[in-house]
Order: sequence, then C-alpha cells, then structure tokens
Amino acid sequence: MSQTENIDIEFDGRKISARRGETVAAALVNAGILHLSTTPSGAQRGIYCGMGVCQECLVVIDGKPNQRACMAKIDKPVTVQRMSLAGTAPRSNTSAAPITIDDIEVVEPELLIIGAGPGGLSAAVAARKLGVEVTVLDERPVAGGQFYKQITVDSANAYPADNQHLEGARLIDQAVRLGVHIEPDTLIWGGFQSGDYVATNSKKTVCYKPKRTLIATGAYERGHIVPGWTLPGVMTTGAAQTLWRSARRLPAQKVIIAGNGPLNLQLATELTVGGAEVVVLAEAARTFRAGAFADALAMMRTSPDLVLTAADYLRQVKKAGVSTRNNAVLSRIEAVNGQLRAHFINATTRREDTFEVFAADAICLGYGFEPSNELLRALGCAHHYDPRRQELKTTLDEDGKTSIDGIYAIGDCTGLGGARAALSAGEIVGYRAATSLGYGLSTEDQLALSAARKTLARHRNFQDALWRVYAYPRINADLADADTIICRCEEVTVGRVLTEIENDCLSIGEIKRRTRLAMGRCQGRYCGPVLQHMIATYKGEIPNAYSGFAPRPPVKPIAIEDLMPGEKE
Amino acid sequence: MSGGKGIVPMEKAEIAIVGGGILGTVLAGFLAEGGAQVLLLDDGKGGGSTVNAGSLHVQLQSRFMRMYPDQVPAIERNLHLYPKAVNYWKELEKKLRADFDLKMTGGLMIAENQDQFEFLAGKCEREAELGLDVRMIERRELQGFAPYLGAAVFGAEHCAQEGKVNPLLANMAINKWAVAAGVTVMSETPVRSIGKSASKTGFELAIPSATIKADRVVLAAGGGNRELAAGLGLALPVVSEPLHMNITEPAVPIIGHLVQHADRPITLKQFSSGHVVIGGGWPAHLRQSDKYPTVELASIIGNTTLAQHIVPAVAPLRIIRTWAGINATTDGRPVLGEFSAMPGIYAAVSGDAGYTLGPYSAKILADIILGQPPCEDLSEFSPDVYHAV
Ligand SMILES: Cc1cc2nc3c(=O)[nH]c(=O)nc-3n(C[C@H](O)[C@H](O)[C@H](O)COP(=O)(O)OP(=O)(O)OC[C@H]3O[C@@H](n4cnc5c(N)ncnc54)[C@H](O)[C@@H]3O)c2cc1C
Ligand SMILES: Cc1cc2nc3c(=O)[nH]c(=O)nc-3n(C[C@H](O)[C@H](O)[C@H](O)COP(=O)(O)OP(=O)(O)OC[C@H]3O[C@@H](n4cnc5c(N)ncnc54)[C@H](O)[C@@H]3O)c2cc1C
Ligand code: FES
Repeated sequence: MSQTENIDIEFDGRKISARRGETVAAALVNAGILHLSTTPSGAQRGIYCGMGVCQECLVVIDGKPNQRACMAKIDKPVTVQRMSLAGTAPRSNTSAAPITIDDIEVVEPELLIIGAGPGGLSAAVAARKLGVEVTVLDERPVAGGQFYKQITVDSANAYPADNQHLEGARLIDQAVRLGVHIEPDTLIWGGFQSGDYVATNSKKTVCYKPKRTLIATGAYERGHIVPGWTLPGVMTTGAAQTLWRSARRLPAQKVIIAGNGPLNLQLATELTVGGAEVVVLAEAARTFRAGAFADALAMMRTSPDLVLTAADYLRQVKKAGVSTRNNAVLSRIEAVNGQLRAHFINATTRREDTFEVFAADAICLGYGFEPSNELLRALGCAHHYDPRRQELKTTLDEDGKTSIDGIYAIGDCTGLGGARAALSAGEIVGYRAATSLGYGLSTEDQLALSAARKTLARHRNFQDALWRVYAYPRINADLADADTIICRCEEVTVGRVLTEIENDCLSIGEIKRRTRLAMGRCQGRYCGPVLQHMIATYKGEIPNAYSGFAPRPPVKPIAIEDLMPGEKE
Repeated sequence: MSGGKGIVPMEKAEIAIVGGGILGTVLAGFLAEGGAQVLLLDDGKGGGSTVNAGSLHVQLQSRFMRMYPDQVPAIERNLHLYPKAVNYWKELEKKLRADFDLKMTGGLMIAENQDQFEFLAGKCEREAELGLDVRMIERRELQGFAPYLGAAVFGAEHCAQEGKVNPLLANMAINKWAVAAGVTVMSETPVRSIGKSASKTGFELAIPSATIKADRVVLAAGGGNRELAAGLGLALPVVSEPLHMNITEPAVPIIGHLVQHADRPITLKQFSSGHVVIGGGWPAHLRQSDKYPTVELASIIGNTTLAQHIVPAVAPLRIIRTWAGINATTDGRPVLGEFSAMPGIYAAVSGDAGYTLGPYSAKILADIILGQPPCEDLSEFSPDVYHAV
C-alpha cells in the first residue's frame, strides 16, 4: 500500500487533518469531535449507527445540508459545519425544470441484487458463472457489506488487512473479474409492486426493471433504550467497528463495550490491538453457564475456524488486561465532567450494586440486530414472527424465493443468520435464480449447489449453538425511565408512549399520529420495533408481520435535487 | 380513535354515526352536546381525515375546474361556504381550547406565463364578485411578498382567507372533546351493512359478531358510504380518488403561504415543525391484493420535482415519507341531510377540500338533526337528487 495521503478539511472553522478515503465522521471522531448535530430541543447528537441509518451525524458539507458524515467519503478538501436537525437555511438555488417518470433512465438487467454484502456478492458470483447478466447495487462507498467491510484508507501499513478483509477482497475481485456489474454509492430507495426499483447515486436516478430481483440488504443494530443512550460518544458496536475496520480510527482512547453477542468481543480485540484502552467488556448473557460447553462443542464440530478465531480474540483481550463482566447489562449512562459514566445491572437480580461504575470517552452498545427488511415488506413479501429469536423473518422457500414471483431474499435482512450462512444461501439463490431464467446447471454446478445446501445447514446449526451460548432476551424499553427518549428523531419519551398505551391506544399507527414517534428522518428504525414489542407485551400477545410500521418509499431519505437528471457536483 | 378495548358495546343508540373522520367526529360531539345519546363507529382503516395535508382551501382549485368543468357551477354556488368553514375552524379551536397549529398564512396560486396569469385574473374577478378576499400579484411585487418563489413564477393570485391546520393535532383534540362530550366510540369496528328493523322503527347495524340498534343513522363513512347506502336501496354516489402525498425533512421557515399552481396539480406548504408537505392531487392507486391506497413512483418524481421548480429552496431537502389516502366526494358539493325516501337515514359528505369543510358541514348537519334553525339554505345539500336519478 502507498503512503497515507492527508487532506485538510475544515470543521466549524477548525482545521482537521483527514486521510483520503475515510469518512467525514471518521476524521471528526479522530479529532475528538463527537457532537455533530443539535436536536430541535437543543440536545447534542453525534455518530450513533455509523452505517447511514440513524441520520444523526448530519452535517453541512460544502454548503450542502443534511449530509451523513458517516457515509461521506473524503477525497478532496471540504468545509464541514455542525447542523441543527430542525433544519438549515436554504442555499441560493436556481430553479430547474420539473421532470416526469418518462425522463428517468430505465435499465433492465436479468438479475438485480440489492446489497453487496456476503449474501449479495456470493449470489452474484454463482449466477454470473452460469452466464446471467448481474447488477449489484450498494449504498456504501465500497462493496463488501458489513462483514466484508474493506479498508478504505491507504494507511494500512501499521495495521494491514486481516483474513476477514482479504476473504472479502477476494470475493469482490472474483465478482468483478466474472463481469458482475457492481455500483457502489447507489441507494435503492424504493421498490414497487409494479416490479420497478428506483436507485439514485451522485450522478443519476435510474429505474430498474429486472427479470429477477434479489434483496440482500443485511441488518442494523437494535437500539438499547436506557437513560443517556442518545449522548454524543454513545454509539453502536458496529459504528465503532466500522471506524476501525474501514478507516483504522478509534472511537476514542478510552472505550466501554457493552452488549450481547460475539461482535462485542471482536470489537474489544480490534480496539485493543489498535491502541485503545477498553475499560470493560460487559456481556449480558451468562456465557459460562452449564450447557454452554456442549454448545461450544457443537460449534467446534460445525465451524472450528470460527471457534478458534473467537478463542484467539478472548486470549488477546485477556492478555491486554481488559476486564470483562458476564451477566451484566448496561442500565444507564451519564455525562459527568466531559466523560461518560456507565452503570450496569446484574442481569439476573436486576440490582445495580453488583458492578462498579465505569467511565470512558466512548461507549459502544451491541445488543442485537434488526433485519433491514423495509424493501421486502414494502413490496408485500410475506413475513412471520419468530418468537424464539424475537424477530420478523421473511417467509422463504428452500431456494430463497419469497412469496412474490421473481423476488428472492437472503442474508440478515431475512432474519439474523450471520455472514457464513449468507454466503452459502447466496450461492444457492444465485444458482436457482439462474435456472429460473433458463440457464442450465452443469454436473459440477449441481454438485456445488448441493454442497452449498449442506454447508448452509451446518452454518445454521452453528448459529443455533452460538445463540444458545449467548441466549439473552430482548430488552426493549425495560430499563428506560419515563423521560428516556424512545424516538431519537422526534425526541418522544418512553413515558409519553406509555401514557397512550395505558389509555388503551394500542394501534401503532395511532400512537405515531398522536406522539410523532417514527415521523423523523430514520423512519422509525429504532423506536418502531421496540414500540411493536411494548404493545404486544401489554396485550399479552406476540408481534406479527403487520404489528409494526408499514414501510413505504423512500426506504431511506432521498433529496429532491438528486432525482433530477444531469451531472451533479 | 380512542375507545376500543375495554368498552362494552352499546346495544342501542339514539343516533349511530358510521365513520369517525373529521365530519363524523365533529358531528358526534355536537349531537352529544345537544343531548343525544351518540355511538360513533369506525373501522380503523382511516379515511381522508387521517392522511390529508391540512390545507385550508378557499379559492377555486383550478385542478377541479379543469378536471370537472361541469361541476364549476355547483362549486361556485357553494364557494361562500369556504371562508365560513375556515372561520369555523378558528371558532372550533377556541371552543375546544386546543392548539390545531392553525395559521392564516394566505394562499398563492402561481402562474408561469401570461396565459396562466390571465386565466387566474378571470378566476380572481369571478371570486371577488362572489365575495372572496382575492387579488392578483405581479412578478415584481411577488419578489418582496413571497421571496421563496423561483424565477419560473410569473405572477400569482393571492387569497387572504387561506391557511393551514395540523390534522394530527386537530384530530387528536377533536376526538378527546367528543369523548368528553359523552360520545361512545367503537374503534376498529366495521359496519358491514345497515337494515331497517323488522319489528319496530329504527335500524340495525351489522358489526362483526353483533348487531346494534339505532333510531337514526348518519352515513359519514367517506368512501364507504356508497356501499352502505346501496344496501338500504339508497343512492349516495361517492367517488373514491386515491391520492399521493410527500413530506420532506425539516428546514428553517422558508415557505410563508399555501402554494398552488394555476395549471398543474400541486399544493405546497411548510408546517411549523419545518417539514414541507407536497401534494395536491397526484395519483396513488389501490393495491390489488387488499385495495389499500398505495403510493406511486411517478407521483414522487413528478410532484416533488415540480415543487422545486416553484420553490427552489426545497431542492436539497430529502423526502422522508410518502403516503396515500382516499379522497371521497360526490359531484363537488356537500351532501348533508336526511333521505326523504328513508327518514332516519342521513347523508354526510363534505364537498371538495373536505377537511376544510368538515367542521362547518358537521355544524350544518347537527342543526338539521337536532331540529335547530338552519344557518344555510339546506336545499343545496339534499341527498334526494341522487335518489331521484
Ligand atoms: C454495523 C455492523 C457490523 C457488523 N460486523 C460484523 C462482524 O464484524 N462480524 C460478523 O460476523 N458479523 C458482523 N455483522 C453482522 C453482519 O450483518 C452479517 O454477519 C453479514 O454481514 C450479513 O451479510 P448480508 O449479506 O446479509 O448483509 P450485509 O453484509 O449487511 O450487507 C448488506 C448490504 O446492503 C446494503 N444496503 C442495504 N439497504 C440498501 C439499499 N436500500 N440500497 C442499497 N444498498 C443497501 C448495505 O449498504 C450493505 O452493504 C455486522 C452487522 C452490522 C450491522
Ligand atoms: C391525500 C389527501 C390529501 C388531502 N388534503 C386535503 C387538504 O389539504 N385540505 C382539505 O380540505 N382536504 C384534503 N383532503 C380531503 C379530505 O381529507 C377529505 O375530504 C375529508 O377528510 C373527508 O372527511 P370525512 O370525515 O367525510 O371522511 P373520512 O375522513 O374519509 O372518514 C370516513 C371514515 O369512515 C370509515 N369507514 C368507512 N367505511 C366504514 C364502515 N363500513 N364501517 C365503519 N367505518 C367505516 C373510514 O375508515 C374513515 O375513518 C385530502 C384527501 C387526501 C386523500
Ligand atoms: S451515524 Fe451516520 S447515519 Fe447514523
């Protein structure tokens, strides 16, 4: 890799040295700037999800408001300003002629894949091998999805790419060499029952009319709704991991990691290696309870490499002297003298006096995922609730086909399954989508297909065992106070929502209309699933495919000017 | 709607109102205040009142004039209702001691060229004769009056009596008031059919797994009215028009008026929260599987890019939501009153811009039902014209 190239950017008049290829958020966090935006009530917000979902890292870049710092890549000097989420003053603007749908370019690929993560890419490779004409779109600046996030800066000398990066790079490379058309930086913001999908990037808006569609949009992290979860410096585990794995930046020097599941352990290792002080790694589950050993053995049989990697993470964390706590759930966060203080409860007794209070500059929360199934649901694909995993799953046949003809789905957007399962499922769907288009399977392909089915079954067993080790129920708003925010965008409190529920207002749509919850820029991604569970619990029912908000286009905000044809700045 | 779980269904009501939109709910409140025992039934699917844009329209909408030229005489005859209806919104806000976020911003209908300007000038003259507070504004004056309008705007017709409410706030306050006035609300309760009582006078309403008796029944079910009336052998020919809406993320206050176009479907305004609401008659469609109103890509593209053409400052704003709803009207006029062919059954349909007209229409009908002296010439609103056809 070449020498790191620094680019000077400006933030509210202050000069900051950034690395070419990192995001604005990474550069600002590295400069210790965690407060990026201000809410209408005056509260400070900053990078939270790190993946373009929460819409709280909004800044003004070169005069253009409402830009997500976590998605904006630096490739030239830019001027950045903190933003009021209530809105900025408009730029002077000349009026452009209105357009109609007929002015939108139409593209008709054989197979359109939405999401360039492990699932989408492996399907692209399998289908392309058989001759299918494949287009893969992804909103992120670089293909790879979450698991295969690539390093985007040239400063990898000190911390070269690891196996996970390299595996991903090989998959991306294979897809490109086979002639898969990958378009990064391209958001699919609408899917319509007419079979049209609309995508926008910095150059144009395109309407895709594919013969087959594969939706592989992954997952995002569930909110951990406790007092203080909206403070700047409190971010998801995934956000911190993206800072490190893509830009080789640390969220802060002193970090607390709290959550449920192995991703937190991986982050603790990575940040430690990167030179951060991980003050504590707190796991909600009792990972060393009776029975865990049998599950560990089962995992060892199915995916020994993953177990060994995990063992290696644990060893490194221990060696670095990171203190770990089991059965500990983060219950509230306070900002005191410029530091964040985290309180924990004992998951069994719910008492706060079991654990000491920890202080750090950043807190990473990783309490599970929500499937990014907005497009699938907007299209009307059937879903069902899985009470054991406490999440909505897409109803699929063994080939990954949804209830709607011509639409396939795989990976974490269909229900959490992990990267390995997404890889094998992608292969299966890739082959089956190809045969449905009339492409034939050679004997070799047939062998590969049945091998993929076996591998997928093995990975599912692995995931099952992993979930038994990390078994911990959804937390929802159980640890919130009445004045804890549930809807980050519209600043609606848990108490406000509870009042409606207790007044027998049990329709999620009516609660939305009464409180404005879910009416903000993140479109209810964090409050929606929690409210859905709160209502179900109150009614003594389990959620179902219709008890959440019905997603509608745009599935992510889209600027009006970006719909207009013609080159943009 | 409140109510639902926990409320023991009433078996018998003096007056049953089918449909808990703006018209049905305000009517229920007035009737309860007038001493009647009122049951309000709503299927919870939400009609125009839960999805509308909250524009308080007064001047003739040129969209309707172009689409339904044969309705223009009826609309003109009823034009005087609109300023009264807007005033009535103010009275209602005061009466309920609530905050509807009601703002009398005034409305601008813009022209892009001389032809459109002249069309508006003709319309303006006619409206002035009919008593509206309207005037034409030329480009030069507009630059100071509405500086947010783009270079494409040639001139505009201004109507001082127009404004906006926030339907979310208004509906919530109105529901609360109706319940406090004594209305029993059954939400999530579809009325499958209405029939005459076999034995006695009065009517029977079939709801899932029960029958409700009522002395009198009001059809305030928006798009559901046609079928309910047909079941009684009556004609109430409401036409359902699925419409599309867009809303952007918030911006600092930019747009000071309700903005429309002389020749193209659009309404554009900014809520106090900073969000810009863009709608005005772009089509939605009914989903095949369940007839649910569903948004359209062509409407997102066409409606929002037209908005930035008129108000360039909205160009960098991102659309955060779109939705669709059903606008149910008959032939542009309000239909309010008792069917002569079936005493005890009342029609309740507002005219065009039915949210604007909602509370005032409710007041007119409440007076009829309670036998109070009417405040308007009721012959204009009779449902009998349809039955006669
Ligand atoms: C922040 C985060 C970090 C994670 N890190 C790890 C990890 O280190 N190790 C691990 O084992 N698991 C990790 N996971 C879990 C991970 O989701 C899965 O293991 C794996 O990446 C799933 O693969 P996938 O192909 O289903 O989805 P993903 O890898 O999530 O890929 C989905 C892709 O779809 C794109 N996309 C989504 N919606 C749209 C749209 N509307 N338009 C265009 N593109 C769209 C996204 O940008 C993304 O690139 C992480 C998850 C998250 C959310
Ligand atoms: C997208 C859109 C934007 C609009 N914008 C504006 C605007 O800015 N300004 C304006 O003035 N007007 C506007 N309108 C028009 C306005 O919303 C309607 O005219 C008005 O709300 C009608 O009110 P209503 O009470 O008569 O009927 P509705 O609000 O339609 O209420 C009827 C109710 O009856 C229920 N129902 C139907 N059938 C049954 C049954 N069988 N049993 C039980 N319940 C039943 C429905 O679910 C509904 O709740 C708009 C309409 C739409 C669709
Ligand atoms: S941190 Fe950028 S969108 Fe969430």
